[in-house]
Amino acid sequence: MLRPMWREKTRLLLTVFAVALGVSVVLAIHLAGNAAAGSFQSSMETLAGDSDFEVTAAGGVPDNVVGVLAQLPYALRVSPRMEDHAMVVSTGHTVPLIGVDLVGESNDIQGKAAGPLAPDALEHLTDADSIWMPQASGHKLGDHLRLLINDHEREYTVRGLLPSSGMSVANRYILMDIAAAQIATAKRNRVDRILLKLPEHSGVGIDEWRTRLRAALPAGVEVNPQGSRTDANRRMLSAFRWNLQILSYVALVVGAFLIYNTISVSVVRRRHEIGIVRALGADRRLVLAAFLGEAICFGIAGSLLALPLGRLMAAGAVHLLAATVDALYVSSRPGSLALTWGSVALSFVVGIGVVIASALSPAREAASVSPVEAMARGQREYSAQVHRSRDLWIALVLAFAGVLASQPPAIAGKPLFGYLSALLLIAASAMAVPSLVYAVSRAAAPLLHKLLGVEALLASRSLTASLRRTAVLVGALSTAIAMMTSVGIMVGSFRQTVVTWMDSQLPADLYLSPAGDPAADRHPTISLELTDKIQKLPGVSGVDRFRAYEIVYQGMPAMLASADTKLSRYYRASGFLSHRSPEQVLGTLQAGNNAIVSEPFANKHHVKAGDTLSLALGAKVEPFKIADVFYDYGSERGTILLDRSVMLRYLPDPAASNLAVYLSPGADMEMVRQEIEKAASGYAVLVFSNRDLRSQAIRIFDQTFAITYALEAVAILVAIMGVAGSLMSIVIDRRREFGLLRFIGASMPQVRKLILVEAGIIGILSNVAGIILGVALSLVLIFVINKQSFGWTIQFHWPVAILLGGLTVVYVATVLAGLYPARIAQRLNPIEVVHEE
Amino acid sequence: MHLPSPVAVAEIEDRLTAPLLSLEDVTKLYVNEGQSVSAVKQVSLAVAAGEFVALVGRSGCGKSTLLNLAGAMDFPTSGQVLLEGTSTSSLNDRQLTRLRRERVGFIFQSFQLLQTLSVIENVELPLLLAGVANARALAMERLAWVELDTYADRLPHQLSGGQMQRVAIARALVHAPRLLLADEPTGNLDTTTGDVVLELLRRVASEQKAAVVMATHSVEVTAIADLVVRMRDGEIAEMVRP
Repeated sequence: MLRPMWREKTRLLLTVFAVALGVSVVLAIHLAGNAAAGSFQSSMETLAGDSDFEVTAAGGVPDNVVGVLAQLPYALRVSPRMEDHAMVVSTGHTVPLIGVDLVGESNDIQGKAAGPLAPDALEHLTDADSIWMPQASGHKLGDHLRLLINDHEREYTVRGLLPSSGMSVANRYILMDIAAAQIATAKRNRVDRILLKLPEHSGVGIDEWRTRLRAALPAGVEVNPQGSRTDANRRMLSAFRWNLQILSYVALVVGAFLIYNTISVSVVRRRHEIGIVRALGADRRLVLAAFLGEAICFGIAGSLLALPLGRLMAAGAVHLLAATVDALYVSSRPGSLALTWGSVALSFVVGIGVVIASALSPAREAASVSPVEAMARGQREYSAQVHRSRDLWIALVLAFAGVLASQPPAIAGKPLFGYLSALLLIAASAMAVPSLVYAVSRAAAPLLHKLLGVEALLASRSLTASLRRTAVLVGALSTAIAMMTSVGIMVGSFRQTVVTWMDSQLPADLYLSPAGDPAADRHPTISLELTDKIQKLPGVSGVDRFRAYEIVYQGMPAMLASADTKLSRYYRASGFLSHRSPEQVLGTLQAGNNAIVSEPFANKHHVKAGDTLSLALGAKVEPFKIADVFYDYGSERGTILLDRSVMLRYLPDPAASNLAVYLSPGADMEMVRQEIEKAASGYAVLVFSNRDLRSQAIRIFDQTFAITYALEAVAILVAIMGVAGSLMSIVIDRRREFGLLRFIGASMPQVRKLILVEAGIIGILSNVAGIILGVALSLVLIFVINKQSFGWTIQFHWPVAILLGGLTVVYVATVLAGLYPARIAQRLNPIEVVHEE
Repeated sequence: MHLPSPVAVAEIEDRLTAPLLSLEDVTKLYVNEGQSVSAVKQVSLAVAAGEFVALVGRSGCGKSTLLNLAGAMDFPTSGQVLLEGTSTSSLNDRQLTRLRRERVGFIFQSFQLLQTLSVIENVELPLLLAGVANARALAMERLAWVELDTYADRLPHQLSGGQMQRVAIARALVHAPRLLLADEPTGNLDTTTGDVVLELLRRVASEQKAAVVMATHSVEVTAIADLVVRMRDGEIAEMVRP
């Protein structure tokens, strides 16, 4: 088993490396996903301790609730917390800012301190400029740090160091007294979360405690088990991680084709040996085991190689993932990459699983051959029969099943039928490829002969003769191309949709937001006095104040936002699913408890125009009627938008998260911008022009999809390696033919040209099959998988330049993959290969 | 009018009277695992145009090596092989390819037809490789000569062994080579079919004035050959003109 493998070292290495690449991508996405997801899990749970419940409310919990809880006749530990973010100005890093009652917990803090406190630490415990940091932050007692919180930059002093956690991600936070944090974050009279520890051995069940606590609190305040937010975040991220993980398996699917090919070639080459061992008494199971064993060797070697390779890829992927999670979902900072025993097991299960699955069919074929048949001569060439018309019928049935599978809705939020549809279409394509190869090669042979000479005739005939092998190769490469095409179309369509959406949804001339890292769940505010100042500047006709709050709606994070809908320049007709005019829709928002929701929100919570939402706002729970659903590609979290006046009735904090500034007709934008920047001196705000904002949005968009391009590139690389490996095996199997050609007058360049033309034909066939399959898959991706996973309506668009560029690169790479096999063919000794029978 | 010099005229005369194929004191050594093995030892042989030469001897006696040396597929370790007066060792790869395309034809024991090409495509292949314009017509002519023109569109596996070898002969002759080298062409055929093939080869020598050198075990060949060269352990043991 091992000796034949060892004889063709280059091909052996190519196969092992193809498996390794496929497995390492799966491993890398698994590791990177864990690291990126692990970070948000711990960032706000830092110092949360072992509480049982958390009390939250949209827009913050009124701080009198702390008193209400403390006065309950139970021995509860009540720990109010402020939770926000601060940017360390010197490094530009944004870290969680946690405010706790340092006076109440001073004994605990002293006990926990990692070293001596500053001599005056307790004296300055509640000072507005006192902060505590983890020892691993590298700061020393007495260090002065400038922090940017909302739109204000201030200096703070490190008064104490806390012990570091084993997890690097848990070592990035800043702790301050709760009162100081309220001032710093401008959230007066509110706390972000109250943690509750129940008395031990109370004899009361957890549900009963929850009922008791709810009864004691205002209607809009929620009581949930501690960690609910982490769970909600995890649920929100699951679709993103799930889709990415699925995409990471593409390279493995491509690798599976190649393992199938390798084992098939091995079976054909060793047919005579199979006959001999069968004649000597070996049974079918032994033959089956031998070929499966060969495949498992590839699987083990590939999985082993995938461990360091996957770890390396994960290091690159984790930053891309964390940036996406930050931009679209929740504040995160990549955690450490941990290659656990679980990850190692995943690598081996995936690696060995895929080789067994793909080698099973050729191994069974080997086991089924009778000894006499196997020992018959003349079986050297790969001539396994292909039932073209039968396979074509199967392909049609599979394609039809694929179309049917695209119809049912998501199951538990996962587009399982969408994936099934994609798989069925890939299988249909694989079954249809032999017919395509046969038809195109036969039909094109005369033309190719005329255009490229006799070498093209020989190449096209040879590809048709070894139809099964050619079909597997084309199947592998076309699957990779199809993924490239489909993801290219999906991303290109999405990008174009976003650009069109921005044209209609970003009508203001200038935009302002607090400085610091943007993230989907962080909504720092701009000081009210600055907003008022800007509104009065000459050249400014209006300022739309957009305010956002983080809420949890039915167990899922969402954004509750308000805007000055009277300005009505937002949300043009094309912006609503109903296509009603903005005047009609926005007019209802100003009238009463009406809201509009974003498309992802409507999709996540299965709501539509006319439905009623129950929103917890401040201390109340109020019903809001959904006036319409608007297209929104800004965030996947889902948004509920109210009129500003309505929002202020419930959450009376007038500060805005962002400002949209409209200029008076004829006003000079540069001059107004300078005026705004002058007015904003002393405030840390960023001013963007409309164009700046769009390019920033597109940059974030491109960054979000960078990882998908990386995954596709690996799949293509695996396929190209497969082409090189298979062409090498073709050269070895047809060495007699090449030797003969030299005898009858072929020159060495002609032999090389023959191989390169074969590679070229494989490339063309793969591109044709790949584009057809890719377009079909893109429809499933855009209208089924994306819609069911994320809820976005994407307009179909052909990204012609990207597709042409991608296909050309793949084609050139395929032809180049033929260079080494061509060199081998040139070096064959014609006398040896012709006379070796 | 430009007249050739007396020296040039002498060279032309030499060429015209010189044998088509000439092996002069040819030795071929192979190195196998550090040991050198001589496949052919100091062989000298001259074959004229239209001559039919049979190389006979046991397997491994050097017949096939001698054919490869004669067809410029291999080169002597010492001595020289002259094809129409030109030493094969002095040619580069391009010139050798040209030589095979224009002056040498090969026939093998196991026919060596390309299974993916039709009969006519197999026959025209050397012409296509050489870039000859009217390849199909010439190929049909050769196929007619071996009486298989009605089988032109068939695939090799649809033919009998004798038919396949006749196709192989047509392919070897399609470019009208001066030298035809046949390695055990009847080895895979029954006696009757083998006789048909031998007759064809004999006709190649007599009708087309090509030199035919054939390695064989067949006793019948000795009766029709102009020269029988008996080889033993890489050396010529005996040369007989029947």
